[in-house]
Amino acid sequence: MKKWLWLSVLIVFWTGAGLAIIDFQQEQNRNDTPPPAQADRIVSMAPNLTEILFALGLEERIVGVTLDSDYPPAATKKLKVGTFWQPNIEAVIAAKPDLVITLGFDQQRNLAERLKRIGYNSLILNIEKVSELFEAIQIIGAATIKQHEANELVHDITKKLDKLLALIGTNDRVRVLWVVQREPLRVAGRDTFINEMIELAGGQNAIGPTLHKYPPIGAEQVIACQPEVIIEPAMNQADPAGQQASALQYWNKFRNVPAVVNKRVYVISGDTVSRLGPRLYEGTKTIARCLRPELFEKLAQ
Amino acid sequence: MKELLTPRKLVVRIALAGIVLIVVMFVCSLIGAESVSLKAAFRGVGEHPAVNPDYEIFVKVRLPRIILAAIVGAALACSGVVFQVLLRNPLADPYILGISSGAGLGTIIAVLSGFNWTLWGRSPIAVFAFAGALGTVWLVWFIGRLTGKFHVTGLLLAGVVVNAFFSAVIMFLTSVAQSQQIHATIFWLMGNMTEEDFFVLWIGGGCVLAGILALFNISPQLNVLSFGEDDARNIGINTARIRTIAFAVAAFITAIAVSLSGLIGFVGLIVPHAVRLVLGPDHRQLLPLSGIIGAIFLVVADTLARIIVAPAQLPVGVVTAIVGGPFFLVLLVRHSRKVSWLK
Repeated sequence: MKKWLWLSVLIVFWTGAGLAIIDFQQEQNRNDTPPPAQADRIVSMAPNLTEILFALGLEERIVGVTLDSDYPPAATKKLKVGTFWQPNIEAVIAAKPDLVITLGFDQQRNLAERLKRIGYNSLILNIEKVSELFEAIQIIGAATIKQHEANELVHDITKKLDKLLALIGTNDRVRVLWVVQREPLRVAGRDTFINEMIELAGGQNAIGPTLHKYPPIGAEQVIACQPEVIIEPAMNQADPAGQQASALQYWNKFRNVPAVVNKRVYVISGDTVSRLGPRLYEGTKTIARCLRPELFEKLAQ
Repeated sequence: MKELLTPRKLVVRIALAGIVLIVVMFVCSLIGAESVSLKAAFRGVGEHPAVNPDYEIFVKVRLPRIILAAIVGAALACSGVVFQVLLRNPLADPYILGISSGAGLGTIIAVLSGFNWTLWGRSPIAVFAFAGALGTVWLVWFIGRLTGKFHVTGLLLAGVVVNAFFSAVIMFLTSVAQSQQIHATIFWLMGNMTEEDFFVLWIGGGCVLAGILALFNISPQLNVLSFGEDDARNIGINTARIRTIAFAVAAFITAIAVSLSGLIGFVGLIVPHAVRLVLGPDHRQLLPLSGIIGAIFLVVADTLARIIVAPAQLPVGVVTAIVGGPFFLVLLVRHSRKVSWLK
């Protein structure tokens, strides 16, 4: 029995020593470093954040980006600090940032909080809707003393989008099925920014409200929702032609879907439509081109 | 014929292994995605913190992570030893009685509920994982008791079925979750090492150390248990009491490990076997040495996970299986002929 007594004494002693040696309160409240008036060394933890920083003319002040930041091309030359899902905190710190910008996903939020505890400034931005994109641009503008550029960027994007919508008109919206993944079939639901882009491009999501943001659906729903156009963002940037061929082959089994009958299955370059960033207009235009090709052909002539 | 284990030999071996552990931890702390110079790291300590990235990487990121790996590795290896002897099954590991799926279920519930608080510096994921792990073990233990007192098969089957059932619930929750939430869960399920506050490490390390000492206390009785229930009782050992203590302590340190770092497989299975193969099955030696070697193994595996695909990183569970598997097979073939327990 004596051994157990000693063990209990040891545990109590250990806990007490821990409380004495390590300043628990201080460890908890380390995140009170005031943000700098103007961020000079910025790390971006997501490709669309990188695009925003470049669009605001902050290229010189970016000291780190994620591996998946590939636009604009100059971004690929910046120091890499891990991937979007697996950020490397050592690399972030080694870049000596005074501002780390992350998205609101769990993984990213977690990184931001860890950095905060060590004493680094971070900014968590949710960019899942078009309105949130504009907000995020303004917030980044404010943090970098680029308010003017931010206003201009937002103004520019909205102006171009308005013009596009004026060209297309809002009557008789095209029903679009946005395919994220083929096997198993997953499409974009109503509560996504893709849905917003489809609507900005004069279309309408063929899928109604769903539980998931990107609901998995069966063949039954594909036929039931009667899409006039099916769009697949290209997964493999290197071989869009290959995906186009396999897409036609795959969709051919739905012989009574209007999009298939009229051969309106499109594989489009994924970048501008899979990230919500300052190339929102370019992405929306690509979609609009799929929805109303005749309109754009006329324009070109 | 193996020589007898004398206290002196035991102390020497533990000390040697401990020195190796410290050397390995030191060397691994110098390896990483960013090269850090110790000299630069400790120049001007105590000055304004944000100016010395070497110091912050070394002391605030890398060191806590390596200590965490050592704590988790030791906990998993020791608990693996105990489950293998309690269940008299060489396939047993710390997760066999449902701890993994219970902790996984706790995690996914925490992620889905979107809680945003901390309890003594721990996130909801860690708290729920801990609760889920202990709750499940208690449930399995309870069901096992209903099948008869320490009926090993009953206990094992209860563990397998509870595991399967909770896995099904996890699958269901995953299928209704949003993809970004699933991502967070999946990384956790593959073993997620990050730096922790020193206070968390201190308390977690203390709990694990106390658990290992408690198991060491009963290691002579565990030796007798490994001969079989009846023999142990005939010698006059209160097998029910020993089993309960061993089971509770092993489950507790596993739950601590899981709540600190997610599910890291393989350590709790192969480290005890490797030590047993090389040094023999005496638990007085097996327990402490498994703990230390488990710590060394996980520190090395985690260092590899940090650097192989730098600047990104791998889940440490991938490395433990890929590095540990072949190494273990070599040991198995080379040593199994010498050791009687396999026959």
